[in-house]
Amino acid sequence: MIELPRVPGQELGMSRVTRRQFLKYSGVAAAAAAPLLTVDQIAQAAITRPLPLGTPILVVVTLYGGNDGLNTVIPYQDSAYYNARPGLTYKPETLLPLSSDLALNASMTGIKSLWDANKVAIVRGVGYPKPDRSHFSSMAIWQTGSPAAHLNTGWLGRWLDTQAIDPMTAISLGGVLPPLLVGAKQSGSALPLGGLSIPQGVIGTACQRLSATSPSDNPLMAAAATSMRNLFNVSDNVQPVLAKPAPVADDLPTIDGGNAGGDTNLSQQLNVVAKLIAAGSPTRAWSVSLGGFDTHANEANAQSLLLGTVSKSITTFLSQMKASGRSKDITVLVYSEFGRRVMANGSDGTDHGTAGPVFLIGDRVNGGFYGDQPSLSKLVDGDLAVTTDFRDVYSSVLEKVLGAPGGKILNNWKGSVNAFKS
Amino acid sequence: MDSQQLQRLEIARLFHRTGFGPKPGEFAAALSAGVVATRNKVLTPPSKVSFVTPPVLTDLGPRPAANSPAVVDYSQQLRYQIQLLFLWWLDEMVASPHTLQEKMTWFWHGHWATSIAKVNYALPMLNQNVTMRKYSLGNFKEFAKAMFSDGALQVWLDGQDNTAKAPNENFSREMMELFTLGVDHYTEKDVKELARAFTGYQVARTTGAVFYNARRRDTSAVTVLGKTGVMSPEEVISHLVSQNDSQLFIAERIWYRFVSSRESLPDEHPMIRAFADRDVYALMKSLIESSTFSQEQYSMVKSPVEWFIGLCRALSITPSQLPSPTKLYSYLEMLSQVPFSPPNVGGWPADEAWLSSASAQFRLSFATHVIAQANLVELTAVSDVRRPAYLADLLGVVEWSPRTANAMRGVRDNPQKLLIIAACSPEYVVSQ
Repeated sequence: MIELPRVPGQELGMSRVTRRQFLKYSGVAAAAAAPLLTVDQIAQAAITRPLPLGTPILVVVTLYGGNDGLNTVIPYQDSAYYNARPGLTYKPETLLPLSSDLALNASMTGIKSLWDANKVAIVRGVGYPKPDRSHFSSMAIWQTGSPAAHLNTGWLGRWLDTQAIDPMTAISLGGVLPPLLVGAKQSGSALPLGGLSIPQGVIGTACQRLSATSPSDNPLMAAAATSMRNLFNVSDNVQPVLAKPAPVADDLPTIDGGNAGGDTNLSQQLNVVAKLIAAGSPTRAWSVSLGGFDTHANEANAQSLLLGTVSKSITTFLSQMKASGRSKDITVLVYSEFGRRVMANGSDGTDHGTAGPVFLIGDRVNGGFYGDQPSLSKLVDGDLAVTTDFRDVYSSVLEKVLGAPGGKILNNWKGSVNAFKS
Repeated sequence: MDSQQLQRLEIARLFHRTGFGPKPGEFAAALSAGVVATRNKVLTPPSKVSFVTPPVLTDLGPRPAANSPAVVDYSQQLRYQIQLLFLWWLDEMVASPHTLQEKMTWFWHGHWATSIAKVNYALPMLNQNVTMRKYSLGNFKEFAKAMFSDGALQVWLDGQDNTAKAPNENFSREMMELFTLGVDHYTEKDVKELARAFTGYQVARTTGAVFYNARRRDTSAVTVLGKTGVMSPEEVISHLVSQNDSQLFIAERIWYRFVSSRESLPDEHPMIRAFADRDVYALMKSLIESSTFSQEQYSMVKSPVEWFIGLCRALSITPSQLPSPTKLYSYLEMLSQVPFSPPNVGGWPADEAWLSSASAQFRLSFATHVIAQANLVELTAVSDVRRPAYLADLLGVVEWSPRTANAMRGVRDNPQKLLIIAACSPEYVVSQ
């Protein structure tokens, strides 16, 4: 019997545009190799100075592929919505009303209960000037935080540049680092779901030696040496933690009545994040992601499943955090590279569009709506008008969650979204 | 660098950039033959498109009903075909004596990045690969036209959903943005109009055969990039590729993958003009014969597949003969690069994206797995002290840094471990 490779699943019958971190192809170039502390210093840091309780933590959830905002936060009383996309609307009575005119997708019950607890801010109509409908360009804009000028650094990478050099400060789950966390002086670390294992013995010693930079290194060779060094740094700190069981979400029912099926990749990622936060990892910013939102065909059911995953994973994660005493510290930011067209295409799906809602979730958030809902009767070239600039959101997140000068990191951006307590 | 190092640099780049690295003895032979002779060898037109016989994949026909006994057999067949396809290409990359053709095919796979995750069947992916081989060094205009009729690409970009009544813009947008012109060289109106010119085609999913359905065709005139008329997909694609923007765009994509993703293509580089007739061979010839490969700043990180294939070539390992195809697949998946499964239509990332701490670990265990299968008699016969120099030639490395030399010193009495360290060193992970 021949062993067969795992067949990549055909996910929900739609494009896998998205699955992993998008690309440098988009033109987001890379950081210079970071000068680093020694292994011992960093291992010490994780053990001797865990993140103090009460330090705000940001968890960024990227939805790759372009999430259809109109079927996420739904203008369920507006006949224009039903007329524009007859094949892919939901029955109004199945939705989860948030107000007299907007409702959440029926699958987002977890986020609805957080909304009811005043922990969800929905920023409406978020985008940037001159919307770009390319996945790559638009995601590059969202991740660099720069619509006009092409930057080599991510918006959180530039925040990292203001922090002490430490590969634990920002961590992305998955093998490839998203441009979001690329800085000029230092970048975040990438952590695969299975965790890392440190090379041992003679090979381990030789790898430690390999991880030194050499004066003759070009920048990429120095970066290769650094990646080896970070393997030692991150794995020393992270490995023991990953072996522990995840914190229990004891206020959630253990059996989910909804869709069956095992862990999704997003819930696995957030599970690892939960363990590490609970262990006191000195990490201020986390990045996780879910792909599959490029719903050009047969959207209604597929998107509902995806949003259900997002909602359930985040709800479980926040619940797990309660036991750690850190749930009050956490803010979750959920965004996608663009929304989708108002009109359905011929395949019961939607093509690439413009503005969409951004979610901010957590105890530090002042729940409610922010920004204006884009009007369905005042479309711009068939698309939703952008009512809130995405830098308003970033600026407030940088300021209120990470305690950093948001405007400065965002090329002197002045706007903000006042969605946080205090 | 002194002139001897410069020669090693240029020859190392000829091996690693325009191919997948040297086979045993090739690097030393190229050093004595010189740069010009090595270039000429690279540029010799290929005698055939494939050197390892591709698998014979039959049409599996319609999928039996769910839960029927026949569906089990069917799924097994399908998995088996996918495995054959995957192993065949890896073997071809290792075995091919015409490394430029192979490297170009690999480049085009990342350019017209189509994933079996959505296409689902091996046969259309094989057919696409054959098309890419055929045009790998050919005329880009003819190539682009042929790719319109490629079933795998049509399925991947929802071409079959694009009808007169309800256009789907996925294919038309990517045709301009990612395949022929580059972003910002067209308007949203062009995307919509091009989508109409692309209507009327359907695909037999199991074979990738594309056929015309007149009832779905929008027969009215379209205006794309200033040209108005009733145009066939081939005519309108020809118009796209004829744009000056297309000439520069393809040259830039080649530059990005073969020279540098960090430094941009110089405005006056001769390879741009060499592509005036959209002849890919002329473009590559101009690049290879320019002074570019001797300029130190153009280093690149090898992608996981490039790194793995290079190692197999140096160690005379045939990927399909490795102990477990499943393991091989999963190592490549952990490193985030599986042939036939690009992450999205933009293809794979480049450079630093491959340098996370996670990939450092995976590379190490993958190298250990591969090197365990290698015959190291020759390396063992070399004295401990001379082994690093022997490995530099075997792997096509310019020179070991003091750092790597120091790391090697601790393991040079153990050929297997020494090779693992060499394979995971910055000098080998990065093409200098």
